[in-house]
Amino acid sequence: MAVALRTIARVESDGDLIVRAAAGDGSAFEDLYRRYSRAVFGLALRRLGDRGKAEEAVQETFASVWRSAGSYKPERGPGGPWLYAVARHAIVDRARRRGEQPVDSYEEQADAEPGPADRAESGWVAWRVHRALEELPAREREVVSLAYWSGLSQSEVAEFLGIPLGTVKTRTRAALQRLADLLEGELE
Amino acid sequence: MTFEDLVGGDDLTPEEEARLRRVHDLLVQAGPPPELPLGLERPGAAPEGAEVLQFPLRRRWAVTALAAAAGVAAAFGIGFLVGHAKTKPETFAAQRVVPMHGSKAGQLAVLRIAARDAVGNWPMQIEVRGLPQQKARNADYELWLTKNGRPVVSCGSFRVHADVTSVRLSVPYHFSEYDGWVVTAQSHGESTPGPVVLTT
Repeated sequence: MAVALRTIARVESDGDLIVRAAAGDGSAFEDLYRRYSRAVFGLALRRLGDRGKAEEAVQETFASVWRSAGSYKPERGPGGPWLYAVARHAIVDRARRRGEQPVDSYEEQADAEPGPADRAESGWVAWRVHRALEELPAREREVVSLAYWSGLSQSEVAEFLGIPLGTVKTRTRAALQRLADLLEGELE
Repeated sequence: MTFEDLVGGDDLTPEEEARLRRVHDLLVQAGPPPELPLGLERPGAAPEGAEVLQFPLRRRWAVTALAAAAGVAAAFGIGFLVGHAKTKPETFAAQRVVPMHGSKAGQLAVLRIAARDAVGNWPMQIEVRGLPQQKARNADYELWLTKNGRPVVSCGSFRVHADVTSVRLSVPYHFSEYDGWVVTAQSHGESTPGPVVLTT
């Protein structure tokens, strides 16, 4: 836990990166892209239901981030929700400009199931979780991906990775502890 | 798998178990993150649907030599993007629009150039109308920047599969060093610009 907290402390905040990007710092923009491109792609895929459209939405989102980074005010809150709002706006706006109905737009399908609040919640949860996964060490992220989403048992994960079963359990627990630190206070 | 299968919990305090169980539930709720398409691995790269191809080695050398001869110091580390036909034009945040026309009626193109990205590339989209589809599999069209009216720097190649073809490209050049654009028809193995079919 202490190790995880120390790791987090060294990481520059999203807000700091947005401020630097607003000043024209390309490396800050690249860091934001590395942190969020997968989360934006996931959100766009969820909303638009098409990989090609989602890919274009990612490009438009980050173009928008680059253009509008100067509008971010750190005193109003952390950078993650600001990026989420920019991405959501870019995705919905893109669909509207093309005269398309977003597949998963809580704004436009308020009577769909699950309800609007649930949709917004699920999108935000996926956004935050996928973003946090990017911060895990590669070996922990790999174990989590295999354990949760591959359909393999832990023994099969161990065999697949060529590591002892105990190591799989240790890495899984370490990953969850790290994720808990990263997500603390944001998903209550 | 359940939380107990994955994490255990016998040695955890109730608070820590609750905290990790919450993360477990969030992972289950979020589902797997999507795999990023190759074109999204870095900002400003090609969209999915564009096939990323490298020139054959000898042709890259030829293009590099041509660029050097033109005094261009731009890096050629970028991949040349060969886009295949899109059936309809895509939204593109253009900051500059360059019309192009062909020698035959109905042949024209619009080149849209977006803001330079964080690493110095100019995303471009060229929408071509009326160019004949290539019959030969190894033939393509190539967009060039010109100096004194002559094509000197390649900006990428593409094939036409429909009456309207829209392709995205990206180049790192300083446009102020050039005076226009042309599209040439290229045959396989050509290292020099072929016949000009579209010009500014």
